[in-house]
Amino acid sequence: MNTSSSFKVFASPPLIFSSRPPKNASQNPRFSSKVPRSCPKTIRCMRDSLNLRSSPNAPSALSFATVEAPLGTKTSDKLRILVSEFRSLTEPIDRVKRLLNYAADLAPLDDTARVSANRVPGCTTQVWLDIKMDEFGRMRFKADSDSEISKGFCSCLIWILDGAKPEEVMGVRSEDLSEMNVGVHGKEQSRVNTWQNVLMTMQKRTMTLVAADVAHRGGERPPHHHKHDLLFKYVNGSYMESSTVHDYSISLLPLYYDFTI
Amino acid sequence: MEGVAMKLPSFKSLAPNAISIGHRSFSRVRRSSSLSVYSAASSSATVATNSESVSLGHRVRKDFRILHQEVNGSKLVYLDSAATSQKPAVVLDALQNYYEFYNSNVHRGIHYLSAKATDEFELARKKVARFINASDSKEIVFTRNATEAINLVAYSWGLLNLKPGDEVILTVAEHHSCIVPWQLVSEKTGAVLKYVMLNEDEVPDIDKLREMISPKTKLVAVHHVSNVLASCLPIEEIVVCAHNVGAKVLVDACQSVPHMVVDVQKLNADFLVASSHKMCGPTGIGFLYGRSDLLQSMPPFLGGGDMISDVFLDHSTYAEPPSRFEAGTPAIGEAIALGAAIDYLSEIGMPKIHEYEVELGKYLYGKLSALPDVRIYGPRPSESVHRGALCSFNVEGLHPTDLATFLDQQHGVAIRSGHHCAQPLHRYLGVNASARASLYFYNTKEDVDSFVVALADTVSFFNSFK
Repeated sequence: MNTSSSFKVFASPPLIFSSRPPKNASQNPRFSSKVPRSCPKTIRCMRDSLNLRSSPNAPSALSFATVEAPLGTKTSDKLRILVSEFRSLTEPIDRVKRLLNYAADLAPLDDTARVSANRVPGCTTQVWLDIKMDEFGRMRFKADSDSEISKGFCSCLIWILDGAKPEEVMGVRSEDLSEMNVGVHGKEQSRVNTWQNVLMTMQKRTMTLVAADVAHRGGERPPHHHKHDLLFKYVNGSYMESSTVHDYSISLLPLYYDFTI
Repeated sequence: MEGVAMKLPSFKSLAPNAISIGHRSFSRVRRSSSLSVYSAASSSATVATNSESVSLGHRVRKDFRILHQEVNGSKLVYLDSAATSQKPAVVLDALQNYYEFYNSNVHRGIHYLSAKATDEFELARKKVARFINASDSKEIVFTRNATEAINLVAYSWGLLNLKPGDEVILTVAEHHSCIVPWQLVSEKTGAVLKYVMLNEDEVPDIDKLREMISPKTKLVAVHHVSNVLASCLPIEEIVVCAHNVGAKVLVDACQSVPHMVVDVQKLNADFLVASSHKMCGPTGIGFLYGRSDLLQSMPPFLGGGDMISDVFLDHSTYAEPPSRFEAGTPAIGEAIALGAAIDYLSEIGMPKIHEYEVELGKYLYGKLSALPDVRIYGPRPSESVHRGALCSFNVEGLHPTDLATFLDQQHGVAIRSGHHCAQPLHRYLGVNASARASLYFYNTKEDVDSFVVALADTVSFFNSFK
């Protein structure tokens, strides 16, 4: 594993990393090249400024920060890195803080992209997702939300999936993300639905772009079909028993967990 | 001698003026084991004997075991009663009792258990009727909840009576359950929905509503107390205006029946709906109050057993109301537990509950509005304006869902965030979502204080990340 002190890079261009000087209380350990020196300062800053219960896991969590993803890291590896990072944060409040840190690192979204066509349905918070396919056939994602915690979720998902091949995008399952929920530790329901909804939208729209790309190239059907099956197999496995493929364009998304009254 | 007057106190003593329909079955109970359960049930509701210096909230807290727990390492502060209320031990006991000692299908069998279950079920119906001062218990139809009750009116009364061009008046502040059924039915019938907007006090504009009422109006469907704005509508006045043009009025009383005296004779409404789970009763049961003559004229909603008189292969004849609208096996235990909840509330006294909540609601509003950057929706409380004991609000620059998440994670404070099933209202107010803290008579000033301290901490936490 490349543990150079250079900034962490993603699996594919462009590099989304923080070159800003670390903020006072929002040090993002993943991106900082100065982690060892600023470790104690960060812990002290968080504790002091937030006056919260001490987080005994903070040191061990920050020690994960030295693990960086080198070039060519697969989506599945990145997922594993992120999951283990969140798993080490046993205090729910530390997960909130970590997500807020990541929210700060989310690349801004153009106002032109904040349109209803880009809205992720099913979230109580507003989430906008801008998806493109680059000239190498890889998926490029940008997102924004009016909620800081949702922004944090998006930031994590984009770190995992930005620059990934379409089949890598389709291969991520929402169960893989349940470790990163911000709710009662170990329970899947709270907030994970933002993950689910955003992930599902990423996957659904990836499918659409792939189909359009294939059509544009006048390409053969099989790859599209395969990916189509991949999506429906996942969907079928998780949510539906039926093996017939209908246009479940709405029902591809899970039950909207908006039980507000 | 087994059958002689082993008068079990539970249902009688909890409601001093209880209708004594159930006595026949009470006196026949032979199982002494059931006595202990009933006596436990009756002792837990003695709130009236304590000294007046302790607030109502403090006095009743012991009846609600669920409130005495920690969540995420902090004491639970439950401020989400507008979503669902907590249940006192007597209600849980009543439900348990039913299943443990006399569970049986109602209206059908002639054996002992069935007779007892039927008696208790119908007694619960009478309790509901008394609670809202209906003239006859036949005017109470048990449904799954208030939403189903409104759908019943929409599909039964609405489909029959609404013609193309007829108008149904709603407000922009209605709960989805009092918007969507009318949308569905107006699609089928060609009726037109008209909405009353808010005035500058952030309450539905009653003057505009009066103007909107015309000979074309067939129904006015409005909330009594708003679950977001906490405002209270002048139902009696609205009913007078509506009846002048021959229109009916449906009152969504979900946020009023649990919190204050609601008298359908005084209101003179045609329909009124409420949910059990918001008034210390279990989920799965609610009711529709409908004036006798109206219910008589309405066709069935759901078809099946119990709502029929005779069934042939090619047609059926239907039962009288309320049975006509209660197809299938009802939520028997739940209805009986709702009766127990009504007894519990009546023992405390709805006027006392209301008085306590007005004071606590004012306290909440005062403390919340004193925080910077907090915007509370709905009218300001005053001498003439009594708010319900809830506050929907937003904090500048902080999404209510983030706020609620932090309050829960860090402080054990349970509030609600989202659109509270009032999306049109939120759109009108120009926001996507809001946070809501709602109180019930088991909350205390300390709960409000804890909430406000936690909220201040939450705001400074998120500010530190900016």
